Amino acid sequence: MRLTLAGVRLSRGDWHLAADAAFGPGIHFVAGAVGSGKSTLALIMAGLIAPDEGSVVRRGIGSATLSLQFPESHVTGATVEEEVRSWGLDTAEVLGQTGLGPKAAMPPLALSRGELKRLELACVLASKHEVCVLDEPFSSLDCAQKRALCKRLGERTGGITIIFSHEQHILPAVDVLWEMEGGRLVCHGRVPGALERWGAAAPPHIRWAIARGMLPANMRIEDVREAACRTSG
Amino acid sequence: MIELDGIRHHLLAIPWLALDEGTIAVIGANGSGKTTLLELCAGIEVPQRGSVRIDESEPRSCEVGWVCEFPDKNLLFERVRDEIASPLRFTFVDEAGIADRVARICDRLAISPLLERRTAGLSGGEKALVALATALIVHPRVLVIDEADSHLDAAAAQRMYECAREVRPPHLLFCTQDMHRAAEADRVLFLADGRVGAYGTPDDVFFALQETCFYPPLWRLARCA
Repeated sequence: MRLTLAGVRLSRGDWHLAADAAFGPGIHFVAGAVGSGKSTLALIMAGLIAPDEGSVVRRGIGSATLSLQFPESHVTGATVEEEVRSWGLDTAEVLGQTGLGPKAAMPPLALSRGELKRLELACVLASKHEVCVLDEPFSSLDCAQKRALCKRLGERTGGITIIFSHEQHILPAVDVLWEMEGGRLVCHGRVPGALERWGAAAPPHIRWAIARGMLPANMRIEDVREAACRTSG
Repeated sequence: MIELDGIRHHLLAIPWLALDEGTIAVIGANGSGKTTLLELCAGIEVPQRGSVRIDESEPRSCEVGWVCEFPDKNLLFERVRDEIASPLRFTFVDEAGIADRVARICDRLAISPLLERRTAGLSGGEKALVALATALIVHPRVLVIDEADSHLDAAAAQRMYECAREVRPPHLLFCTQDMHRAAEADRVLFLADGRVGAYGTPDDVFFALQETCFYPPLWRLARCA
């Protein structure tokens, strides 16, 4: 199973996007600043935007899905329950998992932004597609929900998960680290070695660890804490 | 001072609360009533029961700037320049004055390169910054930022809050899920299920929350080391 970006190029005026990369099974994290092209690349990977040049090659991939940055963009159901059903999922299971059972009859857009994000992410992840592209999945979630999402991502096995995010504090354990730099997709390599190459845009706890000569096992804050506690005895 | 008295509104239940002047961070779980509280303070919603007074005035009689969580809701015009200038079109500021104020606020926020862009073509983070510029251009008495930093990277969020604080509206209310950002405020209000869980200085509120995930994660890291 492999998703390849073969000479992908896209231009919008003076802004240019370039990506040559291959994504295998595992969890990939793509970091990058606002406007760096993360959402555009996510849309290209999901096949919703065609690049000006190059192609997206999917080998051994039967299905793919995309979680959009703004959850309102997903809504098609008139109620929370209908929204879950529109994904072809067991409503009781998803509503139980998200804790939104008491709000099943509410219009999805009457939920708070965080609740709606939680609902749409639960539907995307429960759909069990082989490729799952998540555009800013942590935005709008509270700390407990971010932690729950990290746990859920860790339980996902066998497929290709690609997370585009600028989250700085509550992060999942990942396999490969990428970064958008000046419109170009750059691979820092496998974690943990990649953490040393992340540089100035890395989350503060990663920079804190690297500056003290520590290499945490992964990018979660608890990995840094463990490395710090081990070092300090 | 923003005074909330006998508020019952959807899930919000606040018998009495006085928010000091300055920067107030509103934190809490998803669905705890943060946005509802901000909407009451901004005069977007009128409480079903009780009252909100801003320096003894009705919220709807005050100039309010609002940067919402979903930046597309803020944007009404096709071009960034027209969007940012739009609040001044309803005032007596002449064209040269409008152009000058647009240029100055864009310079402060470092978004001048966006001026001739189409709003629809901006990234989520760029939209939030344009919304902030549009809110600030009228020098609001109350500036509300409703979790707009969710869609900004760390540098852009920092720039947004620095700019908002530099303008010094008498009341700056913001929601955030970044507890380090909240800890920079003068006061923190923690909401739990529509009720006031804690209100006070960042040190006091986060001390009360130290066993929860709301405690700023880097503080915990520093404690360990």
